[in-house]
Amino acid sequence: MAEITLDVDFEPDFDVIVVGGGCAGCVAAYKLAEAGKAVLVVERGNYSGAKNMTGGRIYTHSLAKVFPDYLDAPLQRKVSHERISLMAPDSNFTVDFTSRELTEPGQESWTVLRAPFDQWLAEKAEEAGAEIIPGIAVEDLLMANGKVVGISAAGEEMTARMVILADGVNSLLTSKAGLSKPAPAIDQVAVGAKETIQLDPAVIESRFLCNPGEGASWLFAGSMTNGAIGGAFVYTNEDSISIGIVATMSEVIKQDIPVYQMLENFKNRPEIAPLIRDGKLVEYSGHVVPEGGLKMMPELVGNGVIVAGDAAMMCMNLGYTVRGMDLAIASGEIAGKAAIQALDAGDTSKAGLQCYKTMLDQSFIMRDMKQYENFPEFMEECPRLFKGYPEMIRDIMNPMFIVNGQPRESLKKMAMGPIKEIGMFTIAKDAMKGMKAL
Amino acid sequence: MKIVVAVKVVPDDQDIFVSADRTLDYSKAKPKISEYDKNALEAAAQFAAENAGSSVIAISAVPSKNDDTKAKQNILALGVDELFMATDDALETADSYATAQVLKGIVDSKVPDYDVIICGDGSADLYAGQVNIQLAAALGVPTINEVTSMKAEGDKLVVERTLDTEVEEIEVPLPAVVSVSPDIATPRIAGMRDILAAKKKPQTVEAAAAPVDVKVSVEDIKAPELAPRKNQIFEEGDIDAFVAAVAEALK
Repeated sequence: MAEITLDVDFEPDFDVIVVGGGCAGCVAAYKLAEAGKAVLVVERGNYSGAKNMTGGRIYTHSLAKVFPDYLDAPLQRKVSHERISLMAPDSNFTVDFTSRELTEPGQESWTVLRAPFDQWLAEKAEEAGAEIIPGIAVEDLLMANGKVVGISAAGEEMTARMVILADGVNSLLTSKAGLSKPAPAIDQVAVGAKETIQLDPAVIESRFLCNPGEGASWLFAGSMTNGAIGGAFVYTNEDSISIGIVATMSEVIKQDIPVYQMLENFKNRPEIAPLIRDGKLVEYSGHVVPEGGLKMMPELVGNGVIVAGDAAMMCMNLGYTVRGMDLAIASGEIAGKAAIQALDAGDTSKAGLQCYKTMLDQSFIMRDMKQYENFPEFMEECPRLFKGYPEMIRDIMNPMFIVNGQPRESLKKMAMGPIKEIGMFTIAKDAMKGMKAL
Repeated sequence: MKIVVAVKVVPDDQDIFVSADRTLDYSKAKPKISEYDKNALEAAAQFAAENAGSSVIAISAVPSKNDDTKAKQNILALGVDELFMATDDALETADSYATAQVLKGIVDSKVPDYDVIICGDGSADLYAGQVNIQLAAALGVPTINEVTSMKAEGDKLVVERTLDTEVEEIEVPLPAVVSVSPDIATPRIAGMRDILAAKKKPQTVEAAAAPVDVKVSVEDIKAPELAPRKNQIFEEGDIDAFVAAVAEALK
């Protein structure tokens, strides 16, 4: 951190500088600008969303709270089909769930592409009066008398009464501010690889059995990660399919095939290839995903600084729901509110900003982060989810569906064979542990 | 010294796609500063810094769809004091002659007291490299292209042109139009304060004063037909046939 000396009559350039123009940063800036505060957002990418990545789908409850007109945002398709698959090397078992309740306002989710979506958020902040500077990476924080008073980037300094760090999962600044370790442990982060494949909207709707404007979220666990903790995903956008692989970093490095090859193999699966056939690859991306949950969160409040979104590791992957953006948006909103409160009270010190922590603790963010605190460890202790159970289901299903003139066994016998292979006790223990962690 | 720099705003070539019918899809291509004009902007900014009391005025002639807030702010963040932009949709398919006529209109009405007009090496879309010549002819002043350095000496400009085997030094009476080679200066990356200041700098966007005199007509813009891949596969062990085929293809 760069120590600077402030004059007695020091007037900062801005009330607040927000580092990072993604979901959390843009929403925090929007709230601050709306309240008449002078706020600057510095974004590393050439535009908001340029460097962001989601699988993805956003649960829109927190977005709707900040922007009642959120349906004007470039959302892709409302998710009406929830599919989950267990994939063995040579079989795939899928649950396809639809329910009217999935698409009801206030609890619906939408597929989304970050480049257009984040630009919409940035425009909202800009319209409200925030200054946005894209294309500049903030390298360091400015300190005076032990308090964060600004940023430095490309040899320039910019001062503020406080800084909001919303610089994403690879935040270098949270550690510079002394709020986190220099880098997350490799078993706390996953690496994701994703392709966006363009297809005609009508083709997407027929392949995924969706009504116009509606779409599917499809998550896979099993052999495509070669036994590593992780999975694959398929999401339907308006005129493209997002398809990708996520796998825990500590295990990926032990694998003999790289993540992009896992994705290539997944795309070539007979269950997946027809979904993307004749599609045109329009985008590919890779990103780090914070998956350690509550245990990897940094300190959220420092002297003159607070942390929001992925930088605060606000992300949860439960296998069937994957969340990050709704938490980022809500934390951005709370960060904005807390900053306004601190600025109005004339105290942006650690004590003055403690209201951020208090408001977060009272919100669904910390409630949910605590609720699922033990889930990442459960995944680590249950490798059978990725190798074992998909095969077990295959071995139960195959004799059920195959008729070849051979003698038929009773259903009980058909099911018990594969179950015994893993062991009743182990399965029961996994089920108990899993349910407890959720 | 009153320094004018001509800047074209063009669709970002990275995001122009060829559609199935070989037409060009511009729908994702955002307007940006034409690449070599960034070198011209930097040359203008450096030249202004070397000559105390100078001002840098950017002029631009674009179809209205390229009148883009971000592109204009980018121009003003690169050492420019004021921007004058003239729009006319006929400019979308205009040649250098028409562009030069519109630029002359801006110069005559907004900066008649200019000392030097700096142009880039060529535009990112047409790359004809003719606007400086056409503009100088229209204004009735001398012009020099491929300039790699500039120095003011009284009411003259001393410029260097780097040729293959020698460096040519030429004196030009002012006012004049020069086009600069990209080597003249490496474009700066606008800093935070430059970007913030750019939003407050004066900018004027008006319809082109006179109707744009387009002398050329566009018959067709299509990407060339792609040859289908041959997908010729050689079996393992068939190395001689492979080598022969490669050698044949290289002939």
